[in-house]
Amino acid sequence: MNEELDSQLSAMFDDELSHAECELLARRLSRDTELKSRWGRYAMIAAAIRAEHGVRLHVQVAHRVSALVISEPALGAPVVARAAPPRWWRPLAGVAVAAGVAAVSILWLRGQPLLPGSAAQPPLTAAADAPAVSTAAPVAVALPARTPAGSDSYVVPPAAHGAPALVPPTEFANYVVAHSLYTAPVARGNLLSSFMTSESGTGTAAMLLDAPQDPPRDAPGHAH
Amino acid sequence: MRRATRTRERLKAPAFAWALAAASGAFAATEPAAPPAPAQWLERMNQALSTRNYDGTFSHWHGGTVEMLRIIHRQRDGHVAERLVSLDGSGREIIRADSSLTCYLPDKRTVLVQERPVGESLVAFPAVSSQTASNYDIREVARMRLNRRDTHVISVAPRDQYRYGYRLWVDDATAMPLKTQLCDTDGHVIEQLVFADLSMPARIPDSAFRPEVSTEGFQWLRNDAPAPAAAPAAATVWSALKLPPGFRMMLHGAQTLPGSSLPVDHLVFTDGLASVSVFIEVQATPAGVGQVTEVRAARVGSSSAFSTVVDGHKITAVGEVPPATVRLIATQVRAEAAASPASTHP
Repeated sequence: MNEELDSQLSAMFDDELSHAECELLARRLSRDTELKSRWGRYAMIAAAIRAEHGVRLHVQVAHRVSALVISEPALGAPVVARAAPPRWWRPLAGVAVAAGVAAVSILWLRGQPLLPGSAAQPPLTAAADAPAVSTAAPVAVALPARTPAGSDSYVVPPAAHGAPALVPPTEFANYVVAHSLYTAPVARGNLLSSFMTSESGTGTAAMLLDAPQDPPRDAPGHAH
Repeated sequence: MRRATRTRERLKAPAFAWALAAASGAFAATEPAAPPAPAQWLERMNQALSTRNYDGTFSHWHGGTVEMLRIIHRQRDGHVAERLVSLDGSGREIIRADSSLTCYLPDKRTVLVQERPVGESLVAFPAVSSQTASNYDIREVARMRLNRRDTHVISVAPRDQYRYGYRLWVDDATAMPLKTQLCDTDGHVIEQLVFADLSMPARIPDSAFRPEVSTEGFQWLRNDAPAPAAAPAAATVWSALKLPPGFRMMLHGAQTLPGSSLPVDHLVFTDGLASVSVFIEVQATPAGVGQVTEVRAARVGSSSAFSTVVDGHKITAVGEVPPATVRLIATQVRAEAAASPASTHP
């Protein structure tokens, strides 16, 4: 990815690009797949920030460009969250407090019975690192957990405890991947996406009973 | 039909996909127990996800973190090819060719290869049925424009605490879920997928299913031994004494997993929408005998896992369900007396 293009893209999103430059970039967007996916990324993150934090961004330009980018058969545009609240719904913003106390991708609880609704139990192993921010996507930040309605208070991430990782990641990966073939198509997307994005930049993750870290499991001498 | 014609022109969708859609529509019309319209949208969406060609970029939101991923899916001549790539962060990729899965983990410098015997057909996930309807309240709660597309907003609310629910923005023309929210039993959103860009090309070249990641110096873990055709571990038959309400066993069989030569028993339970896999292995370390009660629980994103030891076997349940559900299932799995090992092979 050309840095100049990247900064132009960024500038466009901030409404800092002249009309002529916008047109030029838009034309380029329409035929450059890589750039288009980058644009999608900016749009998404902007949408996520808008939806989750009520922040208004400069989207007029983005919308204009989206008309070009989304020319059929492609779909896609910034997501505009609209309220349609049936009884079962809750606003997304509340989730950050309820579930997203930190960017904890994998929690391991050791020897603790899990009761229904026990989500509040403290994780003994917490990977609280923010995901690695790729240089290619400067705005791909971990959105901090925040109270709804843009209040200024923050939820303080729980301190990470130093419990050792318990299970070789490859074994757990095997389970998740094998399981993915037997999930409903709709659930599959969630499962695999979670798997793909878990433990980014942390390298913790583990789940094997009483085994040392990360050995191949087919050590010789296993009696069967 | 007029609408279908129009959308075909707009989307340049492959003709066979529409033929499929039409066929499933006809089936629904003649089936006496045809599910109500909202459930049909759910089924159409599942069909679209598994039978259409598509290439899209989507955001994955969970726990305050947003990451972008790309999915490419192709069905051609009865073969499925799929590639899922993490565009940020880990750079992981999963590439599927029918039932064989290759998982590239650059962050672990590891490649996992799960091959299946040639010709083995995969057990299809059951269609949306009365079982689904008895566990979930499926409704169309709104129709709205999303990304300038007409969508049906389908709410799939769990009827108890043993499963999660969904809110789905299903594209009227293609039945693709343009936005998916996974919700806990109280309706709080715990995970969200939103397409930023989605195209449905008639043709996708093979080159689209090759990994971008360089695997130089990576360790490759394969399940070289094909899944033993008729020998689940020691011919032991495993089953669950008790299951969460609404769940039933969908299949059981045995396979080997990359990095191990021992067969692993694999049971799958479903409630008609969610599924839980249970993996049973002979415990690697005999030292574990004294730790029968020791358990592990884990979460990956919105998925839960729970591991315990029974009779010298490690039993791990994994699924897109609340932690209590995998725990209940894992702790209820027991070996029955050795019996006929006839079974479906996952």
